[in-house]
Amino acid sequence: MAALASTHPNLLQFTPKLSPSKQQLKPKRIATKFSVQAISASPQTSFTDQYVLQLADSLEDSLPSSSSFLLQNLRDNSSETILSTQWPSRKDESFRFTDTSFIKSSDIKPISHPPKTPTFSDISRDTKFKSFYFADGFLLDSSFDSSNLPDGVYVGSLSKLPSDGILERVSGLLGDLEWGDLFWSINGLGAPDLMVVYVPEGCKVEQPIYLKYIAVEGGDKGSKTMPLSNPRVFVLVEKGGEVGIVEEFAGKEDSECHWTNSVLEVVIGGGGKVRHSYVQNQSLNAAHIKWTSVRQESTSTYELVEVSTGGKLSRHNVHVQQLGSNTVTELTTFHMCVGDQTQDLHSRIVLDHPRGYCQQLHKCIVAHSSGQVVFDGNVKVNRYAQQTDAGQLTRSLLLEPRATVNVKPNLQIIADDVKCSHGAAISDLEDSQLFYFQARGIDLETARKALVFSFGAEVIDRLPHTFLQEQVKNNVKELLGSTMSKDS
Amino acid sequence: MALVWQIQCTASPPLPSLPFFKRKSSSSPSLPLPLTRSFRLRFTHVPSPRPVAASISSVESPTSVDGLGNNKTPLLEVKGLTAVIAETKQEILKGVDLVVNHGEIHAIMGKNGSGKSTFSKVLVGHPDYEVTGGSVVFKGENLLDMEPEERSLAGLFMSFQSPVEIPGVNNIDFLHMAYNARRKKLGQPELGPLEFYAYIYPKLDLVNMKTDFLNRNVNEGFSGGERKRNEILQLAVLGADFAILDEIDSGLDVDALRDVAKAVNGLLTLKNSVLMITHYRRLLEFIKPTFIHIMEDGRIIKTGDSSLAQILEEKGYNAIPSA
Repeated sequence: MAALASTHPNLLQFTPKLSPSKQQLKPKRIATKFSVQAISASPQTSFTDQYVLQLADSLEDSLPSSSSFLLQNLRDNSSETILSTQWPSRKDESFRFTDTSFIKSSDIKPISHPPKTPTFSDISRDTKFKSFYFADGFLLDSSFDSSNLPDGVYVGSLSKLPSDGILERVSGLLGDLEWGDLFWSINGLGAPDLMVVYVPEGCKVEQPIYLKYIAVEGGDKGSKTMPLSNPRVFVLVEKGGEVGIVEEFAGKEDSECHWTNSVLEVVIGGGGKVRHSYVQNQSLNAAHIKWTSVRQESTSTYELVEVSTGGKLSRHNVHVQQLGSNTVTELTTFHMCVGDQTQDLHSRIVLDHPRGYCQQLHKCIVAHSSGQVVFDGNVKVNRYAQQTDAGQLTRSLLLEPRATVNVKPNLQIIADDVKCSHGAAISDLEDSQLFYFQARGIDLETARKALVFSFGAEVIDRLPHTFLQEQVKNNVKELLGSTMSKDS
Repeated sequence: MALVWQIQCTASPPLPSLPFFKRKSSSSPSLPLPLTRSFRLRFTHVPSPRPVAASISSVESPTSVDGLGNNKTPLLEVKGLTAVIAETKQEILKGVDLVVNHGEIHAIMGKNGSGKSTFSKVLVGHPDYEVTGGSVVFKGENLLDMEPEERSLAGLFMSFQSPVEIPGVNNIDFLHMAYNARRKKLGQPELGPLEFYAYIYPKLDLVNMKTDFLNRNVNEGFSGGERKRNEILQLAVLGADFAILDEIDSGLDVDALRDVAKAVNGLLTLKNSVLMITHYRRLLEFIKPTFIHIMEDGRIIKTGDSSLAQILEEKGYNAIPSA
């Protein structure tokens, strides 16, 4: 529906203004005498959703208009799209199993300023990592230091881009996604700044770029306030360039309520390579929605390793668009619920060119009776994607009664000379493996713990950096230990 | 050395065990029954009327008396063990009797499907099988009452015929867990990772494996030979009073077999025993058995010494009942 709206800007819209002062919405509105009541009361039609409108308004109010033409353009486009987008309901296929009422019923407050006194507890980090901090969606200047990066590489805010050349490249590609949803547009409208990672042609960046996202503002558990942050990053890797990106969404100590709605756009030029690691460990009261949109030119490689364990509602949308042949795409994800959580992965890989190779492994553990994991993995092998080699495997471990997992692996294959496979397994632990432990003197309880941990370890081991692996393993062990010790 | 000849025939179906064999599992070390351990008769319980195969064996009893002249109890005593597959209730073991003493090496051979692997799995406590009768006494305790991990901690080790893969758990962690479980049982303090590594490092030479092998996941991507050597490494690390080696030679090349045999021989002492299940004489040339048993149709039908293997090799299994 959003796509429809953006191609028909003259769609009849009458929007009752709530803040009369500013002229913010698209001037191409046609005011008519068409009754207000009929429209505003029916969210099922393609007319504006009141709630969404209010949200859009508050987002626009929260930010000053940007000095950057690019950012303003993004905001304008997003605003236009938002106006005809509904808040997702359970009737929408892509949100059939995901209940977003947790966000909708809260009092959403877009954060308009970076925190006054940023308090990030762990500055000490492996010096191999080049770290950048986002607090409440705002990129912190204090961590800028592009001195150790190879020539021509830029990592920083859009506003501080040294050359216009890069700016031009970015502007041609920013925000261009026909498959976006409401949350994509919300970020487009509400992102205070854009971080750009630019890798010039043929440049291989040895040190991974470490992006750490911290939430400072949070609503107390009692109140329904939900501060909203919209960090946005754009990565452009030119032909033959290579870079590793690590994104870590850290949790707060006290489980306050907040919503992180982030977007990462990646454009990989021919022969380029991006290794993307994504670790999400937000507090159990937080909402986390993330978009990762990737465009791959021919012979490029995109590898994603994700470990998501936090958040009351966490949804990751991945869209990989193949723009040339012989690409390699590997998505490896691990989701875990140890409490009343929903972990959702909706991924889509669109292949339109021959000889693409794509493998997807999704593993999840649900260790709580109200926990839920949702997986919708879509791979479109279109007509010209001949000799594609695509595989998809999802394995789930349900450890508690009433734990739920909804998996929908799907490959839509139109080409006729392809090798595609997919598999799904939902189970408890394997008896033969448990017996092997017992036959060596290890009791059942310890064996279960070891096997559950090792189930996730298969994905964690694929994280490209040992430091990160250790950190994530310890975190997962801790989370599992606390749930399994509750078992009798 | 006492030489005992026992000739028993049963002419009619279901005879209860003769009073000779009816004795309680003896846990007291001083038994006034010097003849106990010299019984090697395979006495078959026949559930349905059919001609009973009379098993006659002439047995030379081993030096079953230790230097001080005390008689030790058998390490393992199996009497009339019957077992079925838990799911289908199909009977596999139809009355197995076996006695293994300390310091002995036994081998079981037999046709495919005779129940050799089942026997070893039942001893270890595999959930696929259900014991329907008989008794097993291991070191004076009733083995069938114990959980698999308790049996392992009591000193029973089985090397699997096809060890299962455990992706995600690496070898050193697995061995560490198992070793610490043992230490805990013995009331000894558990070893930390570094100390454990120091303990395990020399054992790798025993099975001729490199150290990087410890970081690999248990049996993941291992070739057949590597899996078998991994089993022997576990035996070397954990130690056992009674080791059951289920077809340890299958899938091994000549050199690997020699390594494995050398490792097993190196682990043998006067106190522990080994039960090998194999098809081929080759392994028995490296690890010389004290006794060879032939198993058929869920029972042990013949027991002999190493010369039995020669007969099998030359004439096949059909030659056995008539021998």
